[in-house]
Order: sequence, then structure tokens, then C-alpha cells
Amino acid sequence: MVLFENVSKEYAKTGFALRDVSFHIQRGEFAFVIGPSGAGKTTLVKLVTMEERPTRGTVRVSGFSSDRVRRRDIPMLRRRLGIVFQDFRLLRNRTTYENVAFTMEVTGAHPEEIDKTVPRTLASVGLGGKADHLPAELSGGEQQRVAIARALVNDPFVLLADEPTGNLDPRVSLDILRLCKEINLRGMAVLFVTHDPALLEHHPGARILELDDGVIVRDTASDPAA
Amino acid sequence: MRYTAREAFFAFRRSPLLTGLSIVTIAFALYTLGVFGLVWLNIERVLEGAEERVEVVAYLRDDTTAEESGALMREAAVYPEVDSIRYVSREDALARVRAEFQEYEELYEDLDTNPLPASLEIALEPGYRRSDQVEEVAARISRFPFVEEVRYGEEWVRKLNFLQDMSLFLGLVVGGIFAFVAFVAIGATINLVVLAREDEFAIMKMVGATPGFIARPFVLEGFAKGVIGALVALALLSATFAVLERRVLTLEFYSPTEIAIGVALGGVLGSLASILSLRRHISRW
Repeated sequence: MVLFENVSKEYAKTGFALRDVSFHIQRGEFAFVIGPSGAGKTTLVKLVTMEERPTRGTVRVSGFSSDRVRRRDIPMLRRRLGIVFQDFRLLRNRTTYENVAFTMEVTGAHPEEIDKTVPRTLASVGLGGKADHLPAELSGGEQQRVAIARALVNDPFVLLADEPTGNLDPRVSLDILRLCKEINLRGMAVLFVTHDPALLEHHPGARILELDDGVIVRDTASDPAA
Repeated sequence: MRYTAREAFFAFRRSPLLTGLSIVTIAFALYTLGVFGLVWLNIERVLEGAEERVEVVAYLRDDTTAEESGALMREAAVYPEVDSIRYVSREDALARVRAEFQEYEELYEDLDTNPLPASLEIALEPGYRRSDQVEEVAARISRFPFVEEVRYGEEWVRKLNFLQDMSLFLGLVVGGIFAFVAFVAIGATINLVVLAREDEFAIMKMVGATPGFIARPFVLEGFAKGVIGALVALALLSATFAVLERRVLTLEFYSPTEIAIGVALGGVLGSLASILSLRRHISRW
């Protein structure tokens, strides 16, 4: 679970990025985080990954609490998160397979386990035939699938997708959303951050957290009108 | 481990020039230290042999009575530094010179009077043969009024000691300078690699790599550079040694244990250089 309790984040130079934000993403839930750029979406993601600590309030992620977590525990937290970015962030000189396997190596997984898990994960995102391709040989949508496979391979409890469709055309964006829904159906929580409201109608059952100027202006889980 | 080893050796190919520079400077550092160390070692051996012969010789005035010399002998015998004392009469001295320099025998044949003084030869205990200690004993004995002159191996012992101190000092200074350059070179290599791979490290951080995991290949790389540098230094040293030994005299080289320590020192130097220059980056990982 991801729990924000009255979280505010203030930057010395730019002022408040989030103000008194509270929400709770449950196990297995699918939630959109939407809002215009500058609304605080990126700050929210950084608070979940604990790249940033809140100025006030507490962020709790899977047993890690922002007010108690030690620096050296943060890598352990990250292993429990699957993170996907707008710009894919793949290693350019490594193949699809290596990009995904790399994540497991980093966490000290056994080579045999890597050899077993990576092909299965690639197949689950529809990239079974592209294991030996370098990122440059893949389309944008395929690269994002590699990134998603990388996020999934360590079996996180939540997939944290920060504008995953920002660099993709609408048709491919829908493919990525569909894949995320599928992953969610398998039981993993998904936090899907986007500035594109058009995607919402393709997943009508999902929870929507709307941010504007650092404040949550809509949360369909606590809003009976939605 | 697979990752660490692969990355570490990949780095050798990625920046061969800086890697080479790092190895060469480490090699120079250890070579310099090694050469001066050899000088030190060999002087030490000479001194060890010489110390066996370290004794203080007190030449007595010709009018010294047997009582006086006997008193000095009894007094000196209780000095803790003194091992044994021997009285050499004027006649003994002349006989010894004649025996030692037989080829100049005629020189002494015609002597009407014996020009040699009587003397006391005072051998020192093994623990009291450092030049300052020898000097101390000599000073005490020279206070006796009938002692004309006191001689001991002071000059050359002191010179060798000085040479030894100098070689140790020079070795540490020059070696230290090279070691510093090695540190800079290794640090520069690491900075280059870190800059080139910042994206990669950001990704590693995001997927939960610990700073230690990211740093490990660099440390291994530094260690490998240090060990290779040490082996290069060892090869250079052996070559230098072979040349010197042929030209000069029988010298002593390092023992296998000392060589192992030298190689390990290279590894430690290399790792340390890596760790020190990584510290800046690690805080951001």
C-alpha cells in the first residue's frame, strides 16, 4: 500500500509543490494521478520512491515510513516498486533481455533465477521475440514495454508509471494503458500518472486522483458523486 | 559478483589511456619505494655484519701505569654496554702490525723505538652497537686522563646510518609523490566513467541497487590496477637488481614475503584511490 498522510512538500526555491495531500492506495488498486504540468505529479512520484522526503506529514510505502526510513534502506524500498518513466530510461548499449536482467542482477538475484524469470516477464508484456534487440531497434511503444518488463521483473507490489505514454502516439498509448490494466488484473497495484485526460475514459472503473497546484481537487474513492 | 567482475574489466577497455597511466604511476610509486627499500635493506645487512666488529679502542699514553690501565679495565667492565675488554701492550701492537703487514716488514725492522701506543680494545654487547651508544661509551672512556685518544667506527657507521635514513626518506617522498599522481589518475578515470554513465547509475538507483553495489566494480578495478602496477614495479626492480648485481657486488633482494606485501600494498593503494574518489559520488547515489 501507498499512504500519504497530510503531506506537504516545499522546495526552497519554488515554494510548495504539494499541500496537505492525503490518500491511500490499496493493494491491487488501479489509480490514475492526473493534473496539468506543475500540479505536483512529479513531486508525488518522488515522494513515493523516497527520492524526496515530505516537509510535513508522512509517506508510507510498503512498511517504509518517510519519517523513519534510513538512507541505506531506500534501495530495499525501490526493489518493491516497479517504476516506469516517460523517457523509458533504458540502457542504450544493452539488449532488451539485458536491460531486464540487469534489474535482477542489481538486486543480487541468482543467475539461474534470472535466466528463468526474464523470458517469462518479456513474454508477459508481449516482447517474447525481441529479446536480442537493442533499444534503438525498437519502436517507442516497444521500448516502454521493455521498461515495464524491467519494472515487473522483481515482482513489486505496485507499478508506478510516471507519464508512461507522454512520448507515445495515442494508439500506442492505449496499448500501454491496456497492458497496465492487464498487469493490474493479475493483482498488482498500479499508480498511473498522466496529464492526458483522454486516457481516463478507457479505464472507467479506475480511481482518479486529480491534482491542481499541489492540492488534491478530486479523489473518486472518497467522492460519492463520481 | 558476475556484474562486478564484468564491469570492472570492461573499464580497462573503455579508457585504456587513463587505465595505463594509473598502472604506470602506481608502478613508479612502488618501484621508487622498492629501489630505496633495497638500498636500505642492503645497508642494513652491511651494518649487521659490521656491528659484530664494533668496538671502542682507547689508546693509552706511554706513561700510563699498569694500575691506571687496570683501574680503567675494572671500571669499564661493569658498563652494561661492554662485552669484553682486552689489553694490547705496545709490544703486542707492534707484533700484530708486523703480522698483518708482512710485505712492509722492513719498515718496522729498522725501528729503534716502538711508535705504537698500548691500547684497550673494548667490544660492545650486541644491543649497544648503535652509533649514538658507541659514542656514549667512547665519551665516558675518554674522560680518563691517561687515555690519549679514543677511536671507534663512528664515521662510517654514522654515514651508513645516514644513508639508510636518507634512502628511507627519499623512498617515501618520491614514492609518495608517484602514489599521489596515481591517486589523481585513478580518481580522474573514475570521474570520467561516472560522468559518462550517470544515466545508468540513475537507473540502477531506481531499481534498488545499493551504493555499494554501484561502487564495487570501481573498487575492484582500482585493486586490479594496483596489483598490476605492483607486478610491473616488481619486474622493473628485478631488472634493475640484476644489472646492479652484475656490476657491483652480491646484493640481497626482497624475500617472497616482502614481495607479497609489496603486491598487496599495490592492491590496497589502488582500492583506496578508488574509494576516496568515489566518496563524492556515492552520496548522490
